[in-house]
Amino acid sequence: MSVDVDLAPGSALPRSGMPRLRIVSLALSELARSWRGFGILIACIALGVAVIAGVGALSDGLRSSFERQGEVLLGGDVTMSRPHRRAMLEERAWMDARGRVSETASLRSMMRRLDGSDQALVEVKAVDRVYPLVGALRLQGMATVEDALFKGPGAIVDPILLERLGIKIGDRVQLGNAEVVIRAALASEPDKISSRFTMGPRIFLSLASLESTGLAGPGSLVRWRYALSLEGATDPAALLAFREAVRVGLPDAGFTVNDRRNPSPAVTRTLDQLRQFLTLIGLASLMIGGVGVANAVKAYVDRRRKVIAAMKSLGASSRQIFTLHLAQVLTLALVGTAMGLGLGLLIPGVVDWLVAGALPVRAEFAVSPGSLGLAATYGVLVALLFALWPLGRAGEIRAAALFREEVAPSFQWPRRIVVAATIATALAVAGLAIFTSDRRLVAVYFLLGIVAVFVVFPLLGMVVAWLARRLPRPARPELGLALGSLGAPGGLTRSVVLSLGAGLSLLSAVALVDSSIVTELQTRLPKNSPDYFLLDIPPAEMSPLARTVVHAQPEARVDEAPMLRGRLVSLAGRRAEDVKAPPEAQWVLRGDRGLSYAAEVPAGSRVVAGEWWPTDHAGEPLVSFEAELARDLKLSVGDTVTVNVLGRNVTARIANLREVHWESLGINFVMVFSPNVLKGAPHNLLATITLPPNVPLAAEAQLAREIGKAHPAVTVIRVKDAVDAFNAVFEKVMLAVRAAGGVTLLAGALVLAGALATAQQQRIRLAVILKAIGGTRRQILTMHLVEYLVLAAITAVVALGIGALGAWAVLTYLMKVEFTFSWSAVSQAILLSSALVVALGMAGTARVLSARSAAHLRGE
Amino acid sequence: MPGPGYEPAEGRQGSSHLPSQSTATTTADAPRNAGREPPAAGRPGAGATVVRLAGVGLTLASRAGDVEILNGIDLDVPEGQSLAIVGPSGSGKTSLLMLMGGLEQATRGSVKVAGQEFSGLDEDSLARIRSRAVGIVFQSFHLVPTMTALENVALPLEFRGDANARGKARSALAEVGLAPRIEHYPAQLSGGEQQRVALARAIVAEPRLLLADEPTGNLDGTTGRQIVELMFALGRRHGTTLVLVTHDDRLAERCERVVRMADGRIVADTMAATLGAASAGAST
Repeated sequence: MSVDVDLAPGSALPRSGMPRLRIVSLALSELARSWRGFGILIACIALGVAVIAGVGALSDGLRSSFERQGEVLLGGDVTMSRPHRRAMLEERAWMDARGRVSETASLRSMMRRLDGSDQALVEVKAVDRVYPLVGALRLQGMATVEDALFKGPGAIVDPILLERLGIKIGDRVQLGNAEVVIRAALASEPDKISSRFTMGPRIFLSLASLESTGLAGPGSLVRWRYALSLEGATDPAALLAFREAVRVGLPDAGFTVNDRRNPSPAVTRTLDQLRQFLTLIGLASLMIGGVGVANAVKAYVDRRRKVIAAMKSLGASSRQIFTLHLAQVLTLALVGTAMGLGLGLLIPGVVDWLVAGALPVRAEFAVSPGSLGLAATYGVLVALLFALWPLGRAGEIRAAALFREEVAPSFQWPRRIVVAATIATALAVAGLAIFTSDRRLVAVYFLLGIVAVFVVFPLLGMVVAWLARRLPRPARPELGLALGSLGAPGGLTRSVVLSLGAGLSLLSAVALVDSSIVTELQTRLPKNSPDYFLLDIPPAEMSPLARTVVHAQPEARVDEAPMLRGRLVSLAGRRAEDVKAPPEAQWVLRGDRGLSYAAEVPAGSRVVAGEWWPTDHAGEPLVSFEAELARDLKLSVGDTVTVNVLGRNVTARIANLREVHWESLGINFVMVFSPNVLKGAPHNLLATITLPPNVPLAAEAQLAREIGKAHPAVTVIRVKDAVDAFNAVFEKVMLAVRAAGGVTLLAGALVLAGALATAQQQRIRLAVILKAIGGTRRQILTMHLVEYLVLAAITAVVALGIGALGAWAVLTYLMKVEFTFSWSAVSQAILLSSALVVALGMAGTARVLSARSAAHLRGE
Repeated sequence: MPGPGYEPAEGRQGSSHLPSQSTATTTADAPRNAGREPPAAGRPGAGATVVRLAGVGLTLASRAGDVEILNGIDLDVPEGQSLAIVGPSGSGKTSLLMLMGGLEQATRGSVKVAGQEFSGLDEDSLARIRSRAVGIVFQSFHLVPTMTALENVALPLEFRGDANARGKARSALAEVGLAPRIEHYPAQLSGGEQQRVALARAIVAEPRLLLADEPTGNLDGTTGRQIVELMFALGRRHGTTLVLVTHDDRLAERCERVVRMADGRIVADTMAATLGAASAGAST
């Protein structure tokens, strides 16, 4: 009897008809019964998502605080500010017509004890009676602002100043040319955040007292600021309308306008950049977690070989198998993502609790869907990126696997569609990272770094395993066994090297960037930079001042330059606010710049294009522009720039471009004008003092005191103190970067834990065999320890190499700081890596050693 | 209970301490059958007792409560004897073997192997005794997958610091007929070859006691028979006492003595002369 079966070419076999929904529900019900073993996968996704979501939530919370408290932080609905010049009567009338106005003046100066024995740099803020328009100036004790400031020449000071100068409430101090009485200690200042970078403690005066000090004379570096509570509507449209009104109504006044929606653009900008950078670091930890995902999915597929083969033998197609397992992995990824989002939402609270003082404002609980969406999208995309490949292998398992064991399944490419989907997912992750970053180049560099890490470390793993297989076996069995484990095909080598290497590379890079910058700031400066900056020197006082300095320190060098502050209004006919500058050049367009004039090329500069003007140039106003910034702003010799100085727009033609050696911290300006442009404007001088090396601290202090005594209006800033103040801010930022970077190591540890767990059965089996043939626990322990230490050391060394390369690139190309290698960073990396591997590995070894031999040795 | 004056010149061959309720046939000093494995020769001290179990019990804790695996086991195995432990699955055969190898610790009674009392010893001491006196062959071979045949065989000697480990391992592999394959990894060897490597590893240290747990269980008939031949031949050549666990009656019959177990007890202990009759009795 025969049956006709038509299997001729062209006759289509019926496609499996199980609906996709049914596959998904099958997948889920199966998953519900086999949750165990996926903890690491979920944790890997959750951790990375938590960092991204947490950074987003923190940034959203701070931004929301800024917006909600904007009016208080700014001191009004809007502020208008400019350097040097107080508002003229008609300008003030213009403001008064639009609402209530409070006027403040701020500047840096020196406060001295009356006996001249000590002095301190202070940030002076002189206020009127209506200050602050919003919020309150709080004092310690029972004093009122009215009594403290407006009944005679009184001052309110930051309590730290009392301690620093050894004075108390009621004492008199010297400020400029006047004596003022300390009447109260400051508790809190409402609009503190809207101040620029501060270097000294705050002191409040009345405007009248400021006038009596003589510190706010023509040309001095005082900033006048007008806070307005607008009458009528204060919605965003009204705020925009106000800005427009300033532009039209006071076109040449040179005011910088801020409004309450963004009370401190500098702080928000820093936070934005930090958020973007930390998001990238979060992405890095997510990618490292991705290795854990890939390992877990691979182990799952391996465990299910027989089940998959059985499904195949019952008629399931490769596609159905793939879909089923994809649904399971996606479900797990979603669970991990949801947990990560939940954890991320807790981060602002935790940060607020840990380091509330380090934040500019308290973070509110306010999360935007955008932040959560970004974190969730990254979570799912990265899970897919790392799961697709091993899932593709699941589809390719043949029904024949039921009948024979494959000892070592040969490498098999997944189907083309899976490869294409993997590439598409990788591109999506990269695209998302690049297009959500303002500094796209940074994102591109960062992604290239990640790609490098994902190429280098798997390669390293392969090389280590290859070498371990080829090296002659040492006679000591522990070492021979360790070498054997290092070279084993399914061993830990690749997992450990990749999971740990990626995090360590990032941390080493961060540590080396940090230490290089600190080294640059602290140890390099004294060699080629001045020791003191002297601000606000009236021109007439310059010669006596130089004499005072040389009298006290005969070998000191004094350099001077005229200094005014002004704002760029237009460049080559384009308005400054319309110029699209690269991020590294934007600072030039924002706020005030120091301006100077010179008859000859300033020291530390070199003309690289055009010609310097004759010393007696009297014709068209000319300006020399810093070469690199000119290139970024697309300016060339012959273009014109307009700056607003002292409420007047001055247009000058670029005569030449200069290369400036900024690192020297000498007197350098972006724009140096020909003398005929600014010489007539009221201005003071800026001077630097460079001391010979090894001047004792006491002599330095003596010099500062003598300058203070003879020239009370001059502000003395010790460069080292300024650097320290900058360092303090920098360290806060680096702390955040380190914390986020630490998470990448945590992700690596998770992956490592997962890999160890997967390998645990194998290790137990091996240990039991060794014990059965006479190996002692000490010998097994030694074998594990040798294996882990070798792995950790190799990983640390290569991670350091990559980290150093990354740090060098960042420092050289982005930060322009010389790279310094730090041995402490090296030892930290090696110690951290060894400690992690050994701790995690040995936790597993403890269980390996305590395993009951008999249970594992019985016949199977 | 073990009798006094146990070691070393006791010379009570084939004696066993069976529980009184046992229904087994107990045969002492039975003559060896010519068709079975002849006694091992050429080893000093032949005739001494290599394994002595007295009142041994093994109870394991499980979630469902304590499970009694072995109870009241008394058994002496003299030097050079070949002994098969048979019985249905779950009767405690392998557990008994593991106790003899020090891979499981008795919860009651005394286990003495090669004159060494096992109770109270820690794992490392037991491991050291194994490396000197006990070789074990497993059903699943249990070779170290990351080591070559030579390295696997040299390992027990290396563990005890033998300077000539490789040389001896080479000889042992030659003895099992694997000289040409010493640099092969387990994955590159057939099941039979892997078991030969395991056998070489078990005898390379010239142990007094060779334990084998279903040594042919994972091998086809022909290969299994070859391994058995080899095992007995090696046992004879080195004068090794052989204790093996098996389901295979034909393999058991090749031994001088067969101990049958059921429910964690020895229910029969038969010397070669009475083996045929006992088997016949059991089958009727």
